[in-house]
Amino acid sequence: MKNTLLDLYRKDSTKKVLASLISILAGLVVGAIVVVLVGLSKPNIGASGIWDGVRLIFAGILSTGRAATGELSWGFNARALGNMLFRATPLILTGLSVAVANKTGLFNIGAPGQYLMGTMATLVVALSIPYGTMPVFFVWLLAFLAGCAAGALWGAIPGALKAFLNINEVLACIMTNWLAANVVTWVFEESNMKNIVEGTKAGYIYKTTYGLTQVDGAWTYVEGNGVATAKMGLDKIFPGSQVNGGILIAIVIAIGVAILMSKTTLGYELKACGANRHAARYAGIRDKRNIVLSMAIAGGLSGAGAALYWLSGNTEFFWSTYQSLPAAGFNGIPVALLAVNNPIGVVFSALFMAMLNIVGQQLTGFTAYNEYITDVIIAVIVYLSAFSLLIRTKLSGKSKAGKTNANAELVKTEEKPTAEAETEKGGEDA
Amino acid sequence: MQSEFIIEMLNIRKEFPGIVANDDITLQLRRGEIHALLGENGAGKSTLMSVLFGMYQPEKGEIRKNGEVVKINNPNDATALKIGMVHQHFKLVDVFSVLDNIILGAEDTKFGFLQKKEARKKVQQLSENYKLHVDLDAKVEDITVGMQQRTEILKMLYRDNEILIFDEPTAVLTPQEIDELMEIMRGFAREGKSILFITHKLNEIMAVADRCTVLRKGKYVGTVNVKDTNKQELSNMMVGRPVQLQVQKDEAKPGETILSVQGLTIPSKSSKKDAVKNVSFDVRAGEIVCIAGIDGNGQSELVYGITGLEKTSRGKITLNGTDISKASISKRNAAGLSHIPEDRHKHGLVLDDTLENNIVLQRYREPAFQKFGFIKKAAVREYAEKIIGQYDVRSGQGPVTLSRSMSGGNQQKAIIGREVDRENPLLIAVQPTRGLDVGAIEYIHSQLVSQRDAGKAVLLVSLELDEVMNLSDRILVMYEGEIVGELDPKQTTVQELGLYMAGAKRNTKGGEQA
Repeated sequence: MKNTLLDLYRKDSTKKVLASLISILAGLVVGAIVVVLVGLSKPNIGASGIWDGVRLIFAGILSTGRAATGELSWGFNARALGNMLFRATPLILTGLSVAVANKTGLFNIGAPGQYLMGTMATLVVALSIPYGTMPVFFVWLLAFLAGCAAGALWGAIPGALKAFLNINEVLACIMTNWLAANVVTWVFEESNMKNIVEGTKAGYIYKTTYGLTQVDGAWTYVEGNGVATAKMGLDKIFPGSQVNGGILIAIVIAIGVAILMSKTTLGYELKACGANRHAARYAGIRDKRNIVLSMAIAGGLSGAGAALYWLSGNTEFFWSTYQSLPAAGFNGIPVALLAVNNPIGVVFSALFMAMLNIVGQQLTGFTAYNEYITDVIIAVIVYLSAFSLLIRTKLSGKSKAGKTNANAELVKTEEKPTAEAETEKGGEDA
Repeated sequence: MQSEFIIEMLNIRKEFPGIVANDDITLQLRRGEIHALLGENGAGKSTLMSVLFGMYQPEKGEIRKNGEVVKINNPNDATALKIGMVHQHFKLVDVFSVLDNIILGAEDTKFGFLQKKEARKKVQQLSENYKLHVDLDAKVEDITVGMQQRTEILKMLYRDNEILIFDEPTAVLTPQEIDELMEIMRGFAREGKSILFITHKLNEIMAVADRCTVLRKGKYVGTVNVKDTNKQELSNMMVGRPVQLQVQKDEAKPGETILSVQGLTIPSKSSKKDAVKNVSFDVRAGEIVCIAGIDGNGQSELVYGITGLEKTSRGKITLNGTDISKASISKRNAAGLSHIPEDRHKHGLVLDDTLENNIVLQRYREPAFQKFGFIKKAAVREYAEKIIGQYDVRSGQGPVTLSRSMSGGNQQKAIIGREVDRENPLLIAVQPTRGLDVGAIEYIHSQLVSQRDAGKAVLLVSLELDEVMNLSDRILVMYEGEIVGELDPKQTTVQELGLYMAGAKRNTKGGEQA
């Protein structure tokens, strides 16, 4: 092995990372092309406007705004980076959710529903425990666990349908998504947790920073009496941003999932069931239980994502969800795809997706462009990450030539001879 | 002037980076002969055929048809030269009818409309001439494997191919179907068609081929007249060393009963009838009991029932004194059951996982391999290396090799190592040598015999008559879900066995104790 670089390139994991990076790069390039085309079609943008747009697409997260001269200024943008971390938090968890299910051979498209159920349980618990009945931290913990449990339950339903009745989990997940949307709308409609704007029908559920407090004999929500995730010092590093300790919790969970999947007997069982349910059964692994368990874990992760997002107390929840599903749930799918289902990779791909989101805001804020251009980028990346398997195969095609197997007959089950290039060299002649 | 040979591949050399797949290989096919191409897995047979079909371009050598050099750049060129092939894994569209499959790609059209009438007439003619009975209107997914193969053959004939290549055609057929196919091939040869027959089954070569070309590890070993050779010589040529074709074993010394099956009945998945009907038998320590029968007579279901993969409706299974009739699969494994499954890709291995993880597939929960739910990777690695060494499992990267990338023989060795090493009193082996070459078969047979000699009870299910006759100490024949006969391999003949297998003879009542 003379060439360590070539060895590195030949490693499967390197190829996975490369494939994802290629998808990302292609997405950014397409985004830049859109920026250029839009710039050319609009006379008010001009050459310098186009140049600014392209630079923001690639490095918007490092832009600090416009200097007095009108030039874009660059540097450490604490606010943008902090917000990126804040937005990445739920994405990490929904990404993990999709990734865990995928490792067990299931496609968890139910993350939005699990996320919604998690949202509901978290908010209901956080808002219905009267202020002062227990330490705020316990309220936080209860609300967080309730979110996880609700998500887990919502994930276990399609899991059980799959395991015991062999109903396709994708169908069941889509159904449970909409069930969740309607259940959540209904529960909050009936609740007193709505904060209706004076004179309108529109309103939001109170933020978790509000606490149920008795004022003059009446129960009312008072700001500051509720719960919020601890900042854990991150507000010092990223002043002016929404960031809180949730991102650290999410990263710890990601590490936990990585350990679960790669080091434990449970992870081994889940993966065995996913890769070959028949062989798992043959070996005495309870495949049905594992399918339900895998979906429950996946649901619990989505629920945890919702809990961490809403427990931040930064954002108000618009309860009427019966016509839409949360993007944070669906975006778990591209996050997991981009990370090739690797739990640690999920952290990075979620951060990247959150960054694109912030870049969109920068575009709107600093240029004449519209933030929706970043949605185009995300769309291209999602599209390409679905192709990442193809890209990986292409990468393999080139490098594996080195050890291409002339004796495809070694692997009799492969279609031959087209599959010859695919099959690794076996031992017979090694 | 016509050349003696219809197709010649002269001094073909095909390299892949790091390996020479075909090294100076010459294959000359005479007009109207059946020419066998013999070689172990990995000998370069597929590569050579891919070169003939234009999928690979050889670095050296030339291909001639009727003595003239031809250039085959892609499969269409091969088709134009009237070369056709029946692949081992059929290339049929499952939801199309037989007729549609036959004309697919060579359809006659008029103004863009299919002209099926003409095609039907031609196919019917062919089917009668060569006694290739197929139901032209049946969907491929509904017909037997044998009929699917006849469909593939008709496909070649419909295209007027004169060079017919059969790639391992008998691997999927029952003994009767094999005989039929042999007859069909002889018919083709009489008609003047030339047949190239790729196989590693020596019996078939002896039965049907005129000449045989042997490849070994990418090299040309030689071409012999089948009349002037014998099985032993051919297998020595193929493997490169003298091979033990006959299993060496002493008299069995059966001990106590290990597995006892009483009145077992298992419902069928596909029909309302029971797949296994009131079957009873015992397997004792130190004997190999073989369940013989034509594929699909309930052998697979019987094994699934004993191993717990399928639910039984009636009957009692006792293993080593424990009633396991209703036990979970893991309990049965713990009670002393090792199982070499029929389908090593479906049940035997998690193909997309590493070899070492597959080796501990049933054992990862044992304290030796886990602590507090965390897998002891080092212990797994060490154990995997032990199995790999002990059972000679060859793979590219040792314990971390992806199982999928291993050869069939080595996958099977890994499974056998895993199952045998669990030291269970009962070993169930279902078609353990299916699709393997002579060297691997020899190894697996010797392993089974040594397990028997070590006092294990071995239940073998096999479709290969040779294997049944050579290996077993007792033969139970299954027919339509029942055990119809118990035979002593030393006192019976293949012919008699065949009669039992076909249901024409029986020496037991109902499914009473055989």
